[in-house]
Amino acid sequence: MSIVIRKSTIDILCAAKWIARRDCRALSSVPEKVDIGEEVKEKVPGHKPRAHNPLLEYRHVYPEFLPDPNPKWRNSLREKMERADMLKRRSQIDIPEFYVGSIVAVTISDPHAQGKTNRFVGICIDRKGSGLRAEFILRNVIDHQGVEVRYELYDPTIQLIQVLRLEKRLDDKLYYLRDALPEYCTFPLDMDPEILPEGTPVPLNPVQVKLKPRPWLERWERQELKGVSNIEEHLKEKDRVRRELRKTPWEKYDLMKQYRKTIPAEDQSEIWNEVYNQLQQMRVSRKKMSRKRTFATPKTQLA
Amino acid sequence: MNQADISKIVSKLRIKVPPEHRRLRGPQGPEGRLNKLRKTVTGLIKYERIELNYRRGDEARQYAERLISEAISHGDCHKPTMEIADYWLLEKQLVHKLFKVLVPRYENYNTAFTKMYKAPQTYYGRNIDKAVLELRGNPYPSLTNKQSNNRLLLQNVLLDAAKYDYRQAKYAEMADKMSKTEELQTKLDNNPESKPSESS
Repeated sequence: MSIVIRKSTIDILCAAKWIARRDCRALSSVPEKVDIGEEVKEKVPGHKPRAHNPLLEYRHVYPEFLPDPNPKWRNSLREKMERADMLKRRSQIDIPEFYVGSIVAVTISDPHAQGKTNRFVGICIDRKGSGLRAEFILRNVIDHQGVEVRYELYDPTIQLIQVLRLEKRLDDKLYYLRDALPEYCTFPLDMDPEILPEGTPVPLNPVQVKLKPRPWLERWERQELKGVSNIEEHLKEKDRVRRELRKTPWEKYDLMKQYRKTIPAEDQSEIWNEVYNQLQQMRVSRKKMSRKRTFATPKTQLA
Repeated sequence: MNQADISKIVSKLRIKVPPEHRRLRGPQGPEGRLNKLRKTVTGLIKYERIELNYRRGDEARQYAERLISEAISHGDCHKPTMEIADYWLLEKQLVHKLFKVLVPRYENYNTAFTKMYKAPQTYYGRNIDKAVLELRGNPYPSLTNKQSNNRLLLQNVLLDAAKYDYRQAKYAEMADKMSKTEELQTKLDNNPESKPSESS
């Protein structure tokens, strides 16, 4: 059955070529990729989809520089001042690049500890917050007791942040490790840092974690987690039915929901243009310092 | 405190976006809200000018702008964009119209792609705001009748005549000034010539 359309003059003038093919494809749901590619080449040979500013890649390494997307909590002056303060702090101490799933060791100054410092090693299960309030949570199992510590990235009492193993995981948040078998969260406190050769991309650890039997802290089966292997074993029929009922497949097409959660590319470019120069300089100077050979005076032994 | 989502890059919309979405209440809930907006966006792309309630029009405007900006930034061959266009446009030839007609039209725009006007309320006593939502560059005659630059209207005729007279008066003044200064110049030239002749 042909579909009657009210055609405007622009359509008739511009679309002569694809009108001929329209009738055979009017009933298909999604046009085939191959045909569209051919048409694009015929019509506009030089047309490419817009290329974005390459500085936008910085959003993965320094996500806390982007402000909170909620417009009720935005203040451009405060954000500028925060960014300046963040750069000042970064010039004092090296806050390395790490992601959720990397193993990090943090040394903080503690007035009540022996030696006045306190060191904790753990896997980063979450990074949240923006600006100077950016936080990350480290999890480890010590003496069969799971321990989580939440640190602020820009806390002045932090003396050293050392990345022992730099890697990414299949999920953005690893809260399911709380319900996983303890072997997936135990890391020795005297672990040595694993150094990656320069220029390698951040490795993705495709490990799929096994969960302990129910009860769990959250309904992991409803959360589309890619890093968990054995959820289905622990589910009853009732859980499967309720999961189907609670699914919201239309949410991934909700364009305005995505928009309200992100900072648009133009605003991001402004921020990175402000900040990338100093960050780049700091990176380069730190690399130079690490490669420099320090001269240590030999200790003379008294005869 | 939330961290901005970094998995996707979106282009900035050139319309005012309120901080929260309107719920558009109905028996089907959030899914029904998106279904209603789908129909509205399909109608907008199909007819290029539609008349509807203000609340639904404002929401649909945001989604239409997002759809067009995604189509412009990613283009034809990007699978996720095609799936989004397939979901939002219920008539599949409009997917072609979006990528072949609207994208080239709006590629180089610096303004928003849609325009919304407030329309008169149809029912007396029921406060339902109406609006007209249209795509810019549509082939219909414009809804506003902006005649302020029409040279044939009486006020512009009178103003042009007044400006012309003023300018003429100014030219006459300048001409007088110039002629006076010329006379003075010639007198000064003549006088020193006559003086030495007298003295000698």
